[in-house]
Amino acid sequence: MMKLDRGGWFNIRAIAPYAVALASVAAALAGSRWLDIHAVTAPVSLLLCAVMCCAWFGGFGPGVLASILSILAFKYYYAAPLHSLAADVKEIPRLFVFALSALFAGLLSAAQRSAAQSFRRARDDLAGSVQALEQSNTALRTENAERIRAEEALRNAQADLTRVARLTTMGELAASIAHEVNQPLMAVVTNADTCLRWLAKDPPDLDEAREAAKRTVGAGHRASDIIRTIRTLARKSTTEATRFDVNSAISDVLALTSGELQRNDVLLETELSAGLEPVSGDRGQIQQVVLNLTVNAIEAMTAEKHSPRVLRVSSRMAGQQNVLVAVADTGTGLDPTTADGIFDAFFTTKPDGIGMGLSICRSIVEAHGGRLWASPNSPQGSIFRFTVPPAGQRGRK
Amino acid sequence: MTRPDNEDEATVAVIDDDPGIREALRGLLRSVGLHAELFASVQEFLGAARPDLPGCLILDVRLPGRSGLDLQEQLARANVQRPIIFISGHADVPMSVRAMKAGAIEFLTKPVRDQDLLDAIQLAIAKDRARRDEDRTLARYRADFDTLTPRERAVMMLIVVGRLNKQIAAELALSEATVKVHRSNVMRKMRVRSLAELVRIADNLVPAHNRA
Repeated sequence: MMKLDRGGWFNIRAIAPYAVALASVAAALAGSRWLDIHAVTAPVSLLLCAVMCCAWFGGFGPGVLASILSILAFKYYYAAPLHSLAADVKEIPRLFVFALSALFAGLLSAAQRSAAQSFRRARDDLAGSVQALEQSNTALRTENAERIRAEEALRNAQADLTRVARLTTMGELAASIAHEVNQPLMAVVTNADTCLRWLAKDPPDLDEAREAAKRTVGAGHRASDIIRTIRTLARKSTTEATRFDVNSAISDVLALTSGELQRNDVLLETELSAGLEPVSGDRGQIQQVVLNLTVNAIEAMTAEKHSPRVLRVSSRMAGQQNVLVAVADTGTGLDPTTADGIFDAFFTTKPDGIGMGLSICRSIVEAHGGRLWASPNSPQGSIFRFTVPPAGQRGRK
Repeated sequence: MTRPDNEDEATVAVIDDDPGIREALRGLLRSVGLHAELFASVQEFLGAARPDLPGCLILDVRLPGRSGLDLQEQLARANVQRPIIFISGHADVPMSVRAMKAGAIEFLTKPVRDQDLLDAIQLAIAKDRARRDEDRTLARYRADFDTLTPRERAVMMLIVVGRLNKQIAAELALSEATVKVHRSNVMRKMRVRSLAELVRIADNLVPAHNRA
C-alpha cells in the first residue's frame, strides 16, 4: 500500500507541472476569450504569459507543452479560418510569429529557471561549505588547546627526565664519588692518628703534632670541597644564571670522574686555555653536559678492549664570539649510518640507556645560546664539541 | 750466622696518586721513625730505579696508568721481592684475594687504622729483613762454594751424603790421605766446623732432587 502510495505521489509530482501547463493555458485562453467577446480585440499575450509561467515553474517540458497548446489555441481561436486547426496561407506569418514568440518565451523562461536553480544549488553548496569550515575550525581550536596542553606536559616530562638522567649518571658515578670522598677522609684519619702519636710521646713533639693537625684540617677542607661540587651537580635544576669560568667548571667535573677514569685505565689529557672569557648561564647545567660527554667517552672506550684509552678535554676561544669545549675519546667512534640521530630524544646504542643524555645536553647548550655537535676523531673515536658565547656576547632570552 | 741488616735503613715506598694521602702516610711513618719515599704513580716508582731497596711498598690498588695489582705481578717477574701492603678505596673481595694470593702482606681498606697499617709495615719489614738476610747468607755460601776446586766439590758432595773417607777415596780413585786434605780444605773454605753445618749449607745450595 505504502509503496503504491509513494509511486502515485511520485507520479503526481512528475505530472503536476504538465497538468499546471494545461490548466494555465486553458485559463489564459478562457481569459482571452472572455476579453475577446466582452471587450476589445484578442489579447493573445495572455497565452504567452501562460507559457512563461509554465516554463518558469515547470521547466522545459511543461514550457514546451504550454507553447504547443498555446499555438494550437491561437490557431483555433484567433487565426483564419476561425474554429479550425487548418491554416489559411495568409495567416501563416502571424501564426509563425506567435509560435516563435511562444517558444522563445518558453525557452527563455526555462533557461532562466535553470539558471536560478543552479544559482540556488551553488548557494546551498556554499552554505554547506561554510558550515563544514566552521566545524573544522572548531575542531582545530580544540586540537590546538590540546597541543598546548601536551607541549606543557612534554616540557614537564622533559624536565623530570633531565633530573632523572642526571641522577642516573650520578648513580653510575656514585662509586667513584665515594672513592673521591674517601681519599681525603683517609688523609684526615691518618693525620689525626699521627697527631695523637706525636702528642703521646714523652715528651710530646708539639711541632710535629701541629703539622699533622694542619694536614688534617687541609684534608677536611678538601673533602668538603668535593661534597660541595657533588651538591652543585645533584641539585634540582632551578636555572640560575651566573657568570662563571668554564675551565673551573670542567675541572670540577673531571675531578669527580678521576676515579672512574682510573678504574677504566683511561689516560686523561687536558688542555684548558688560560685566556677563556667567563660565560653566563647555569654552571651546574654546563657541568652536566661535560659530565655526560665524559661518561659517554669513557663508556665508548671501555666498550671494546683496545688501547690506548685517551680522554682529551680541551677549551679555547673560537673567535671572539664563542668559548669552545671539546671532549675527544679514542673509543668505538660514531656509526656513520646513525650519526645524525644521536642527539634525538630516546636515541641510544647502550643496552640500558634511555637515550636522553645527548638530547638533554643539546637542549642545555642551545638554551645557553651555543651549539653541540659531534665529529670523528683521528685515527679512532669521536669528538664532541660545544660552544657557549661569553657573558658579554650573550643574546639570550 | 745471620747479621742484622744494618747497612740499609728500611724504607717504605708509598705509591698513591693522592698527594694528601701520600703526605699523611709520610707523617705517620715519621712518627714511628720510618723513612718514606713518595711516588704518585707506578711509572714514577719504576723510574726511580731503586725498586729493590730494603723495606716495603704501600700501594693503592687503583693507580693511574697501571694498577697496583699489575705492578705486583711485574715486580714478581723482575724478581723484586719487596713485600707489598695494598690499600684500597673499596673492599673488593676478588681483588684482595688476588693480591693476597700473589703474596701481598696485607690488604687494607681506606680509611686505614694506623695500628693495622703499622703492624703490617712491621711485619713486612721483618719479612723483608729475613729474606734479605737469607739471600745474603745464600750468596755467601755460593761465593764460598765457588772457591772450591772441582775435586774439592766432588769430595764435598760425597761427604754431605754421609760417605766415609775410605769410600770416597775408592769412589774417586784417590788415596785416603788426599781425601783427608780435600776434606779439611772444604771445611776451611766453606767456613764450617762440623759436618752438620756443611750438610745444611749443601741443602741450601743444591735442591735435594739434584743431589746424587
